[in-house]
Amino acid sequence: METAILQVFRYDPEKDQAPYYKEYEVPVEGTLLNALLYIKDNLDPTLAFRAFCRSEVCGSCSMKVNGKTKLACKTPMKELVETWKGKPLRIEPLNHMKVIKDLVVDIDKPIEKMKTLIPWLVPDPRVVPTDPMHESIIYPEEMEAYKDQIHCMLCFSCYSACEAVADNERYRGPFAFSKAYRFQVDRRDIETAKEKRIRYAISGGLWSCVQCQKCIHVCPKGVRPAEDIQNLRGQAVKKGFTDKPGAKKLKHFVDWIYATGQINRLYLPEEVYGNKEAREKLTKAYTEMGVEVWEVPKPTKGLMKFRDIYLEILSKEDKALDLDYSHVRKIDKMVSDIFKADICTIVDKAHEEGRSSRGLISKLKGLLGGQ
Amino acid sequence: MVKVGFYQGCCFQGQDAHMFETMKEMFKRIDVDVVLLEETTCCGGNTIDEENRKLSYAINARNIALAEREGLDMLVSCNTCYMVIAKAKRALDTNKKLRDEINELLKEEGLEYKGTSRIYHLLDFFRDVVGYEKIKQAVKRPLKGWKVVAYYGCHVLYPKEIAVDNSDNPSSLQEILKALGAEVIDDYEGKDACCGYHSFFTDKSMTLKKLNRILGGVKKVGADIVATPCPLCFKSFDIYQTNMENPPRVPSSFLPEIMAYAFGIDKDKSGLSHHLIKVEKE
Repeated sequence: METAILQVFRYDPEKDQAPYYKEYEVPVEGTLLNALLYIKDNLDPTLAFRAFCRSEVCGSCSMKVNGKTKLACKTPMKELVETWKGKPLRIEPLNHMKVIKDLVVDIDKPIEKMKTLIPWLVPDPRVVPTDPMHESIIYPEEMEAYKDQIHCMLCFSCYSACEAVADNERYRGPFAFSKAYRFQVDRRDIETAKEKRIRYAISGGLWSCVQCQKCIHVCPKGVRPAEDIQNLRGQAVKKGFTDKPGAKKLKHFVDWIYATGQINRLYLPEEVYGNKEAREKLTKAYTEMGVEVWEVPKPTKGLMKFRDIYLEILSKEDKALDLDYSHVRKIDKMVSDIFKADICTIVDKAHEEGRSSRGLISKLKGLLGGQ
Repeated sequence: MVKVGFYQGCCFQGQDAHMFETMKEMFKRIDVDVVLLEETTCCGGNTIDEENRKLSYAINARNIALAEREGLDMLVSCNTCYMVIAKAKRALDTNKKLRDEINELLKEEGLEYKGTSRIYHLLDFFRDVVGYEKIKQAVKRPLKGWKVVAYYGCHVLYPKEIAVDNSDNPSSLQEILKALGAEVIDDYEGKDACCGYHSFFTDKSMTLKKLNRILGGVKKVGADIVATPCPLCFKSFDIYQTNMENPPRVPSSFLPEIMAYAFGIDKDKSGLSHHLIKVEKE
């Protein structure tokens, strides 16, 4: 029978000075949970790990294999052996939580963090009948908005894999934001609670998420926390929480992409942090290296039609007013001041001359009579 | 000669316009003709998704449709552009209602998203279309004695539905670097950490902590340079590193630059001499 070596993290804080790894030879058969049960039944009854349902429902058996978060009952041994090409498999407890014993961690901290985001329904009396004899109906179309989030089984895989938790103690954790978002899009939940959740999400690190996507990757139930976090950020801005750098970054993207088809990295530091020096510093560094500095992106051919599509989508989604038209006009003016031509002329010229991008901007300025 | 449509995103225009020329020259050496998809726009940088996901899908349906109009597959270099565009493609391919709605708008420009173009990232393009052997044959200046750290970045490995390699134990980047003759280091502290690029304008402290983690690990293993296929990770390493309190001054390279250099293109044209943190190694 094919076997594999598991190097299992062992630590009993009551007895051991320090953690150590113990090797076990297990059959390559069934799931990682089967292998751990094999150890417990046949090799070493002292090994501690959590497991209950064995069928991806309870979320107890989440752990790390060679640093990667896995739900043991969902992970075939064969797949692990293939991925790691026969190398030993190092089995460790989840990150960011205190070890109680071996692979068992203390989940109190992430649970407490989650509670700060009001992950429950605060009924709106205008929607939810107060009379218990009356039904509170939810239609299938409404459920669409949170049909994945409700499957979170608190396995803490995402919490363990999270890049933001790793470097920000206050960060609530991907699952917590998904739990909160689930009620943000529930019609029965009262507006004041939604507002509060956003406030608490912001103080709980909403803008600290690095969007690495690991939470989506490791979730055994198909919940997509990184995307829920994006949705919460959008809600925060919509509700007027626009003072955070992240909100200003979003505004930069929304306005500049509409105006030119591109963002403008040269202007990001001053539009987000009010830091004009950064642009001057970068301009100087690039000039010294002989790299042409573009104050504005090369306007894309078809820009006007692109703007049409952009605005049409925003209008359909009831978001046309999210565009800051005075900012867009400023960008237009900036472009025409640089080139001494309106944006449509520049788009055409840029496309005619645009085969080579080296020196394009100075060429365009020359052609159009700009500075 | 393989022909492929190149999606530039924000990383190959403006100050970085010269990077496309490096890219084009490098690809010529391995018999690939990269055609710039000129009319494409920013992918939204995974930030437009915060405003509205459908807007992100529409922008990228348009971007992909421009490649389809040329009858070309699309090659994306930036990890984030790749992820955003690949996610949009999945959504469009699996949701007819969304596709129809967006196509109705694209009509105005005479465009249509059909789903006929494949989206490649550099890594799977090198592995599946070019082949490691071809890269090896193009090397004129083997990177003998270069200790190179392989750093993938997140958006080519996560989430799994768009991953271009085995997310848990990827190998394509190491294989490419080996083909260049480099000594590859793929085990170091912080190798799985995010480069922090995307949090620079949302939570700057996060970026600096990430850089500290990764570059500290790189310094410890005594590498000469970090190589990454993602231009954003590269920018985080090269530009944002200078924002650290005590920058470890670890040099880094966008993968096509170090490939161009190994293919015999000089340091200036390969882009390696345009870094804030100088690449001293010859």
